[in-house]
Amino acid sequence: MHDTVDPDFASYVDARQGRWLRTAYLVYGELERAEEQLLHAFSRLSLRWNKVDDPDVFVQRLLYQPALARWSRVRAFPDEDDPVKLALAELTPAQRAVFVLLHLEELTEFEVADLLGISHSTVHGHALAALTRFRTALGAGDRL
Amino acid sequence: MQPLLYQASDLLPEPDLADAAWASGLDTRRRRRRSVLAGVVIALLIAVIAAIGAGVRGSNNAELVPPTTPPSNPPGYLPPSGQIAGIDFWVAPPPGSERFLDRIETPLGDLLRLPDTVVALKENPLERTAAVVLEEQGAAYVPLILGADSSWAVADVQLRATRSGSPLSSGTVSPDGRLAAFPQPGQVVVIDVTTAEIRRFNLPAQDLRSVAWLMDSNRVLVSGPGVAYRVLVGAGGYGEPTVTAVNGSRDPDAITAPYRLDTGAVMRYLSTGGWMLDSSLDLPVRAWVGQTFSTSSTAARLFIANNLPQVPTRASQPQVLAAIDTLRALPSRLLVLGEPQPSTAGRADPADVREPGCCAVLGWYDDNTPLFEVRGWVLAWDLRTGRVHRVTELAVNGVALGPGIRS
Repeated sequence: MHDTVDPDFASYVDARQGRWLRTAYLVYGELERAEEQLLHAFSRLSLRWNKVDDPDVFVQRLLYQPALARWSRVRAFPDEDDPVKLALAELTPAQRAVFVLLHLEELTEFEVADLLGISHSTVHGHALAALTRFRTALGAGDRL
Repeated sequence: MQPLLYQASDLLPEPDLADAAWASGLDTRRRRRRSVLAGVVIALLIAVIAAIGAGVRGSNNAELVPPTTPPSNPPGYLPPSGQIAGIDFWVAPPPGSERFLDRIETPLGDLLRLPDTVVALKENPLERTAAVVLEEQGAAYVPLILGADSSWAVADVQLRATRSGSPLSSGTVSPDGRLAAFPQPGQVVVIDVTTAEIRRFNLPAQDLRSVAWLMDSNRVLVSGPGVAYRVLVGAGGYGEPTVTAVNGSRDPDAITAPYRLDTGAVMRYLSTGGWMLDSSLDLPVRAWVGQTFSTSSTAARLFIANNLPQVPTRASQPQVLAAIDTLRALPSRLLVLGEPQPSTAGRADPADVREPGCCAVLGWYDDNTPLFEVRGWVLAWDLRTGRVHRVTELAVNGVALGPGIRS
């Protein structure tokens, strides 16, 4: 591992950091926490750069799985008045992670289950519950 | 749904995490390396300690094998005859065999007797005293002093007898050999052999029988039954009186410094005028005889023993010279004074029997050789070899020895 950043690694990070920060922000409901997790995931990747088969999966597992940890839950989107964020804040951390990955990243339920380390049926259940609560919170009923 | 989520996450700052992530990775890798290195070092240390422990406890190659050669002893070493109360003892040559022992050359010569001619101490001042004897002149005693150069000198003083008889005490000569002290009724007489000066110090008690010098050769302990005084002969500390009462003893000879061997204990002299217990002493003592003489590491005194199963005696009571190590670094030793060998008739010559009280320690030749008196002889016991040597034959009634004996 060189002291200066590997150009390929830098290109890889530059290409993904904006999108994954946006997703992590919605999953965690807090920008500072999202940046912290994303930096941690990229740091771990730098240690195994050129050794990991699928860097995207490697980073996203490290990025999203901590959102499900019971000991790290905090209130999402505090002091926000955006209705979408308030609706996301009504979801549980697991529901929010599944919901965001399904609808923002447009991953399949199987891919989400793989990233979060939970079963497909659990992902499906979270997805249904999250959609219902999100709609209710927005007062949209079946319009969305 | 996706547009709503994009809108919610819009306006986020553009991150630049590549450099920070790479640097963080580098830092993590260095920390890991340090941890691994520390772990390896700790594991090696544990392995080494475990190997040493296994080696010490092991049954094959790691047994502590004693050396095949015995510890070296000085030439002429005699093994001890056994142990008394856990202390090694040797048996002295029997009475009558003294003249056949190896002799230590001293200013005392082969035979210590009163000189035919003697000069006055004023005319022949001495540097160091080798021995002091007394010449009886009627009811008085005159001290004759033998210097380290084997020359005799007589002090210009007449001494009176004490209640025990001769005013010559075993501890008469100071450690530096310059002074000689004599107990007198109600006083102590001190002679400076280098100047022939004679000083008298009056004391409150009349019955004084023994003197013993402190190691500084500046203070002398004068004692009688139940009383004892410390007399400052030279210049002392500020305000120190010339005469100070110290704890007495029923046995005047017990009052010695810096150590005294007493019943059941080694006592150490305190400058405050008392003695404190230095260590306990478990010996089969019936009675102590004479004074204790000490070097920097050993104190010696003679005692009459109870019957010793280790050294059966028929004609006399066993007497033992105890050389007790006061530093607790070297072993203490005992010398049992032997009995005369029975003749063919099976009975010992009564003239040779060492009766209780005949014998006493007189001092030290060097740090390893106490000097002691037996009937008609001064002998030396080499603690390193266990051998007894002849110093001189006595043709005088008593003698006090000084450092000049080793000229």
